[in-house]
This record gives sequence, structure tokens and C-alpha cells, in this order.
Amino acid sequence: MHSSVRTRAGAVLVAACAGAWLALAGLASAGPARGDRPQEKAVQAPAQAEYAGSETCLTCHEDKGDAIKTGPHARAFNPRTPVATQGCESCHGPGKAHADAGGDKTKIRVISKLSGHEVSDVCTTCHNRAQHALWSGSQHDQRNLGCTSCHSVHAAKGESQLKAASELELCGTCHRSITNKTNRYNHMPVREGKLQCSSCHNVHGSTNVRLLKVGTTVDESCTSCHAEKRGPYLWEHAPVAEACVTCHDPHGSNNDRMLVAKQPFLCQRCHVTSRHPPTVYDGWVLQNSSNANKIYSRSCVVCHQMIHGSNAPSGEFFLR
Amino acid sequence: MRTRLTALTAALLLASASLATAQAPQQPTEPAPAAVFPFTGSIDFGGRFTSATGDEARLERYRDLRSGVNANAVFSQQTSDYFLDAKVTNVGYRDGRYQANFSNGKLSFSFMWDSIPLNYSYLTVTPWTLSTGGSTATFSLDPTIRSLVQNKSAVGVLCAPGAPAGATCNSPSTVASALASTSIYRALAQPFDIQAKRDTAAFAMSYAATKDLTASFMLDTYKRAGNMPYGASFAFNNSNELPVPLDNRTTDLTAGVEWVNQKGMLRFAWNGSWFTNNIDTLVWDNPIRATDTNPYDPSGYSNGNGPAQGRLALPPSNDMNVVSVTGLMKLPNRSTLNGVFSITSMNQNAALIPWTINQAIANPTVYASFPGLAALPRSTAEASVRGYNAAINFNTRPAPLWGLTVKYRYNDHENRTPLFDATEYVRFDAVPEETGGVTEPFNIKRNTFNADVTYRLPAFTQLRVGYGYDRADRTGRAFNDTADNSLHVSVDTVGNEMVSLRAIYEYTKRTASGFDVAVLEDGGAQPGLRFYDEAPRSRNRGTILLTVTPVQMVDLTFSFASGKDTYSDTANTPNQEFGLLDNKNTSYNVGVNVTPMPHVAFGANYGRDQYTSYQKSRNANPPTPTDQSWTDPNRDWFLSGDEKVNNFDAYVDVIKAIAKTDIKFGFDYSDSDNGYLHSGPRITAFTTNVDPTTGKAACSSTFPSCFIPLPPVSNKWYRVTADVRYYYTARIAFGASYWYEKFDVTDFATIDSPGPNGFFAATGQPRIDYLSGLVTGYANRPYTGNTGFVRVFYFF
Repeated sequence: MHSSVRTRAGAVLVAACAGAWLALAGLASAGPARGDRPQEKAVQAPAQAEYAGSETCLTCHEDKGDAIKTGPHARAFNPRTPVATQGCESCHGPGKAHADAGGDKTKIRVISKLSGHEVSDVCTTCHNRAQHALWSGSQHDQRNLGCTSCHSVHAAKGESQLKAASELELCGTCHRSITNKTNRYNHMPVREGKLQCSSCHNVHGSTNVRLLKVGTTVDESCTSCHAEKRGPYLWEHAPVAEACVTCHDPHGSNNDRMLVAKQPFLCQRCHVTSRHPPTVYDGWVLQNSSNANKIYSRSCVVCHQMIHGSNAPSGEFFLR
Repeated sequence: MRTRLTALTAALLLASASLATAQAPQQPTEPAPAAVFPFTGSIDFGGRFTSATGDEARLERYRDLRSGVNANAVFSQQTSDYFLDAKVTNVGYRDGRYQANFSNGKLSFSFMWDSIPLNYSYLTVTPWTLSTGGSTATFSLDPTIRSLVQNKSAVGVLCAPGAPAGATCNSPSTVASALASTSIYRALAQPFDIQAKRDTAAFAMSYAATKDLTASFMLDTYKRAGNMPYGASFAFNNSNELPVPLDNRTTDLTAGVEWVNQKGMLRFAWNGSWFTNNIDTLVWDNPIRATDTNPYDPSGYSNGNGPAQGRLALPPSNDMNVVSVTGLMKLPNRSTLNGVFSITSMNQNAALIPWTINQAIANPTVYASFPGLAALPRSTAEASVRGYNAAINFNTRPAPLWGLTVKYRYNDHENRTPLFDATEYVRFDAVPEETGGVTEPFNIKRNTFNADVTYRLPAFTQLRVGYGYDRADRTGRAFNDTADNSLHVSVDTVGNEMVSLRAIYEYTKRTASGFDVAVLEDGGAQPGLRFYDEAPRSRNRGTILLTVTPVQMVDLTFSFASGKDTYSDTANTPNQEFGLLDNKNTSYNVGVNVTPMPHVAFGANYGRDQYTSYQKSRNANPPTPTDQSWTDPNRDWFLSGDEKVNNFDAYVDVIKAIAKTDIKFGFDYSDSDNGYLHSGPRITAFTTNVDPTTGKAACSSTFPSCFIPLPPVSNKWYRVTADVRYYYTARIAFGASYWYEKFDVTDFATIDSPGPNGFFAATGQPRIDYLSGLVTGYANRPYTGNTGFVRVFYFF
């Protein structure tokens, strides 16, 4: 199928699925499920008389007052912050009925009792731009995570109101096998404090794969910092044009240059030709042969140094 | 199509005001009293004391741990009109960082200056002398010494062709003789620390013109300077490593306008990126030749009769521009539709270096036989890639129990670089050849579709079932296109106070079509080879993460993940036989966190990872009437890779449980054992020195065996940290910290005197003149580091 036809087909398929789903869901949602939970009732803007005011809230919840006295939610010069709008009730909803009822929890929005999606609905009424704009339907949203899975307004431990002291610690609660890689001896400068998970990823949703925050392909993300690899080159190396992660593990590796396997064995996965590429590089060669230079030091790239691409007219084999 | 997509997106976003919203805009009355901070922050000032043994550069790697004064500061101020903060760390050191942020609601600024060192080695040496002129870095060797080597009066590179005594280097005795010789350059090599540094200046500004409209601007510029180890070689048996200088800068500019309200969002953005390399050519002297072999020797790349110098093109300057439009629209029934469209233009038009620096080849006499070398087809690269990228996502949760997400992504990497005919080229600056080819720009076009349905189960649990389709059309590869069909199912229980469970299983089947065996054969590859990034494969992956909080002060976490890729192409002729056949990974982690009282917390986590791989190759010569090794299965060999990694970390935090005192301990550990097991008939042949096909010796001489297994590559790293802080008053505190870090490694690719680690005990003394190479000595070596801090803190 021609690519432009395929593109149109894909877009039409998305639109068709959306239309069909909305029709079905319209039927499904006609039942009693919607509206069972008091938090979902509000669609129209509450009347001002329904608000109690933050001072009222703090008479009982004084220990929560920091959120509107300090920190980003307390910046009154920003007309979009809670302290510049309805204070505590910006997030927890109108509280007069809750206060009048002596603290009836069914008459207020209790964030900790909401599902991930419901929490996100609350937060994204304000946090709906820049790096937060594409949250809906993103990978974390799809896995039933909400804003308070990672952030805490009232008990933050780290920057950006994270629930842990650092991004590494926070992300490691779910992605432990990834964060463990930062301790491998070939690693990005994450454990040194120079980079963190959000240096490469936008966990709130992005236009790139794998929640990478820059570009639309893996290579565009990596070459935003490693621009010398961007090319394009006169002579290209196919796996480089495909994706950097074909050969590298960006989270950390026990192989030089963060490769997914040690040289020359990584190269030998694809270079099965005649002569030296498929030679058996073992301890005998390393100690008793002039071919030892294919094993020690930079291995294959001591000769094929321009492995990411060559701009030399005689650079077909990345030797120049 | 692109115009219609853009218009559709804009029309949707400008739809009527009757669209439902999750929460209507608030109507503020009297805002709560604004928080007004006093001037706050802290300064800490003190001394750092570091001692290290072994590979100090690897200890530092991305840090500057030199002993000396250490200062850091944090400052912030928030008033009813603005917020300002600033932070400086490691003032005056190579890893210093300086940041500042300002916001007054309408206008926001941020600035950062950050330096990241990359310390390769302080143990390296080089006999070459570096000079730079214009955009060329030149490494020179003593011409008198080179002449001695060329005249075979001295050894320049052990085992290099033409070297005296032991030059054959194909047996223990000849190698021993060669190693006993030592290179004349060894004594001439001077210490040369290989270090680089990246300095980044990042500036960002945003202006909220209205409550809904924001303009933003970002400028990032980073400079890389210093040196890095670089390969540069002349022949199979004459490989060199040089500390190549770096002097380049990347500058990124981004400008965007974003309109957002409760109905949707629309963003237009432009990003420009320019990479400028001020050193784009490398020239270096050949350690075994003082003069070009004249006339050139057709075997000059393998017998030592090559050029006096080599020249290679370092990464060229390039630029990239991206324009994008991103839109989001909120629809009824908790639905959103968002999309992005972008056009990317990448260009590189650097001046091309000539075919060769070798004047014995670059002359009319040779051009008469190789007319293609008389001139370049063009003088500049004219390299260009255009990218078209689009994504559209629809997400809806119309009913409390159900949800649907549908995504479509399109990526088109269109390489527009004109072909460059290098059928005649010069190999290693030594020999003109007619066996080159024409450049091959790779194009990749990708269509990706995903659909997921979620269903909400009781007890905060969500079930998700999804399907994905990812098709890639490529040019220049063995397959025209590949298609991944995947199914996945996940269960997530989140929000339950006692138990949190996440589990996902995914199965992906990749099929490939349009197989062209000529692509493999033109590249000299076995027709049974498949490249694993495009080869048909099946993939199974699963992860489970369980967190249990039996009581409020304790949480236990267990996670397990496993995945396996199996590569097998039986649909094409010949079937897949070579390359990566499978790889598997398994990872599990067990952890506990305990907070027995408000001021005390401790915890630990243990993780175990295992990665295995299996690949197949054939050790063969090009087919001739008398040599059929190319098709001989007795030449096959396999390699099994098996990496096992243990991770452990623990912490204890005692925060003011003892009056006025904070105490923190930390321990991190990671060790790896990476084994390589060769097997198969070729290995048996080497082990027994009998070629089963011919009955003759498999080794090059009458040895009982010519195969020695490689020792595992192992490493062990751990770090202990301790930090104590005593708050003398509310404003003054005294602190002391101690870091201990140790790294042990055994890697056969590291050559110390007397030989490869793993076969010989590591001495930490690099040998730069091992077999067939003259290198800097950069490799993986152990270290131990002790760093202590004493500090005074002042809080304000």
C-alpha cells in the first residue's frame, strides 16, 4: 500500500474507532454508573456561595496549610494558582457543605480516595499546558497512574513536589531494573547528579516514543545532546540510522561505551562475511596473533572509528 | 494530506464553546492572603579531602573531586509579586553548576550554567605530539625514529608488517619474541591525561501574554573541549589510538507559542540546532613509515608498505530545523483528541577531504589507472534528510468502568543525499582500489497503530488489553519492510492502601517481507545472515511489581521481569542461519522500607539481573575453486553470552531523632560477571587442531590446540556514604561527610604489563605497545577513593 494511502488509512481508522466508541459509550453511560460517586457530579461551575474559604479549611486542617502558604501553589502573583483562585477548594472542590456538616467526607473531594484518572482530571484543569499537555492517554495514564502517584502537594520530599527525595528514587519504585543500571560502571552522569530521568523523558506524555521528550524518534532524542552523531553522513551505518538503542543501552551497561554487548561480539552479530569479521576472537588470538588488536583496547573501532558514519570519500568501511 | 490534517486540527480546536469540561473555571472572590517569604536559603562552606589509588579518572569520571575548598549555596525569595531562586554547587570546580529562576506570573526566566567533565584516564601516554592549525589536528612522531623503524633498525609496532624479529606473530614463540622487543615509541611516550568537558549554558523565557496565551523561547548552547581516545589505523596489524582534541559547540534555539484553555490546546514551535565542529580533520603520522611507499604497493595495507600519514574526517558540522504544531481538544464523555505534526530538516554540507593524503597515490601516474581518483564527484557532502512526523491520539473514558485509547504515529526519514560514487577509492591511505561502491542513503518510513481498552475492576484495579501494529518500510536493507504485531494485557491495582500490583505481558511477532539476498551478498555477507534490528522474531515480555504495606510503617516490594527474543526466518531462502539467534533477560528485585518512627527510616533493595544471548557465525574465506570453507558447516561457531548482575543498596536516615542532629548512611553495590562461551565445530577444530572437512591442521601450525577460552569480564563497584549534620543553632550547622568508593574490574581487553588482564594479574601499568597496536593505554582499571568533607552551614 502506498505510504500516503497508509497514512490516510491510519488516521481514518483512529477517527472511526473514536466515533464508534463514542456511540457505544453513549449507550453504556446512560446507566446508573455515572454519578454514583459524589466527586463526578460537578460539571457546571459551582456557585460562589458553595465555597467556605481557605481560612475555614485551616481551622481543622491547619497541618495542611503549607500548601497554600509556601511552594508553587502559593504564588499569588500567578493568577492560575490555587492561592489566587479558591485556595484549598481549587483542588478539593467547594467545601461549605463539608464544613457545615461537621467534616462529612462525602461532601468534599478527598483526593486520596480518587482513582488515578480522577486525580488527573483535577490536576489537569490547571496543569494542562507545556510538558503536561499530553497527559491524557499517555503511557502512565493508561496504567492507572495519577498525578498523586508521584507528586504530593502536602507532603512533598523532593523538587517539583515529588514524593521522593530524587527522581531516581521515585522512578525506581516502579522501574527498579532500569534505575539499577545507573550503578553500572558505564553510565550516564545520573548518580553524579548531572542528569536525571526527566533529562531525557517527559513522564507526563510526549510526542516521541518511550516518553522521550525531544524529537519524534529515538535518534532525534539522543542526538539532541550528541549532535556530532546526527549527520547525515556521506556513508551511513544502517543500525545508526535505525535507532541508537540497536547497539547502546542508554540507562547503563557493563560494556564499554554503554554497548548492549562487548566488542567484537556485538559487531559479529551482524558482520558474518569472510576473512576477519567472523574470525574466532578468543584467548589464543589475544595472546598469540597479530589479530589481537581486534580484541583489546577499542576492538573493532580502533580501525573502524567512524562507526556512526563517515564523511570521507574513502570512508565506505568507516576507516576514514 | 498534511495541509488537510493541519486544517482539521485547527478546526476542531476552534469549535463551539458548548464543549463539556472536567471542571469549569473558578470565579475568585477575595483570594487567600498571599504567602510572602522572607529571604531564605543556605550557604555551606568547607573543605574536601580526597585520596585515591588506581584509576583516579574513572573514580572522578563525571566529577571533580579534587581536594580543596568546597562551597555551595541556595537562595530563594517569594513575595506577592515574584519568585526568585538561585543555586550554586561546587563553585570553582570543573563540575560546577549555577542556576537561577525568576517568575512574576507574567514573565518567567531561568538560566543554568553547568559543567560536566568526562575524565577518561590519567594513566595514558602517547608518543605523538599534537598541533592544531585551522580545523585540522595533526599528530606527529619524531621523524628520525620513524626512519629507523622504516629501515627496520627499530620496532615501531609489534607484529606490524615489516617489523624485525617476530613480525610474523602467529605462534607463542614469535609473539614472545615480539613482546620482548618492545616498541621504540614506548620510551618516547609522554603522559597525556585524556579529559573532556561539556559546558552548557541554558536560558529559557516564557511570557504569559494572557491567561491562555504563552510565548516561550529557549537557548541552549554547549561546548565540548578537551580530548578523547580515538582509533586511527593504517593496516590490519598497525592500529593506533590517539588522544584526539575536541572543540565543538552545539546551539539550540526554540521558539513557541501556546494557546490553552479548558477546551483545548494549540502550540506552534520552531527548533533550530547547529553543531559546529572546529576540528573536523585528523592527520597523524604512521609509526612504521617515514615516507610514502612510492610507487604504492598493492598490498601496502597488509605488508607495511603504506603511507607516511593518514587522514580521516572527524564528525562534520551540521544543522537541524524542526517546525511543529501540536493540538489537543477536549471532547464529550471525558475524551481528548491530541495530535502533533512536524517537519524536520537535517543538513550537512561540509567540505570533503580528498581521496587520500598519500602523495604516492594522489598524482597523475596513478590517476591514469584510477581515473575516478583524479577528482571528487563533488566537493561538499550535500547530505540532507527530511523528516515528516505525525501522531494522533484519541483517549476516552465515557463511563466510569471503560476506557479506550487509540494512537497512530507516522515517521518518515527521507534521505535526500545525492549518491556519491566511490567505486574507486583509497583503502587506509595505502592502496587505490576498484572494489568500492556508491553511497547508500537509508530511508525509513514507519506507521504505528495502537489500541487499548481499559476496564475498571473493583478494589482500585484496572485491566487493560491492547493491540499494536508497527510497520517499517526501509531502503537499502535486506528486507523491504517489517511488521510487528503485538498483543498486551496489563493489570494495575493502585490506590489500595495495603497492596499495589502492576503486571503486564506482551507478545510481539515480527514478520518481514521483500527479502533481497543480493543486499547481503553485495556486502559480502553469508546469505543465511539476518540483521537483528530487522529480522523476523518473536518477543515475549512480562513484568510484575507487587508492593505490600502490611502496616503503615513497612512496605515490601517485589518485582520480576523477563523477556525473550527469538530470531528465526524460515520464510525466505536460504533460511536464517547466522547472526543473533536469541537473547533473554531476567530481572528481579526485592526491597523493604521501614519507618518505625517519624524521624527514622531505613531500607534495602536487592536486585539480580541476567542477560543471555546466542549468536552464530562461520569462520570462512571467500569461495574459490579450491577453498569451499564459505559453505562448509564445519566452519560454524556459536557464542553464548551470559551476564549476571547483582545490585544492592541500603540506607538509614535518622533525622533529628537525636537532638539537633541529622545522620544519613548509604550503601550501593553493583557487580557483574560476564562470560563468553564459544562452541561449535570450528571451535572443536581449533581445540583438536584437526579440520574435519579436510583432515588437515585447523591451526596455522602444528600446535596441539589453538583455542583458549576467554576469561569472564567481571567488575564490582560499591560506595559507602555517611553524612552527619549538627544544628548548633537555627542558623548554624556543622557537617561532616565521608564517601568511600571502590571499583574492581578484570577485563581481557585491558592490557597491562605483562599482558591481558584475566590471563595475567592486573598491575595497573598500561602497556601501550601490545600486539599490532600503538595505543594510549586507556582501558578499564580498578580504583579506590576516599573523600571527606567538613562544612559549616549558615541558614537564612
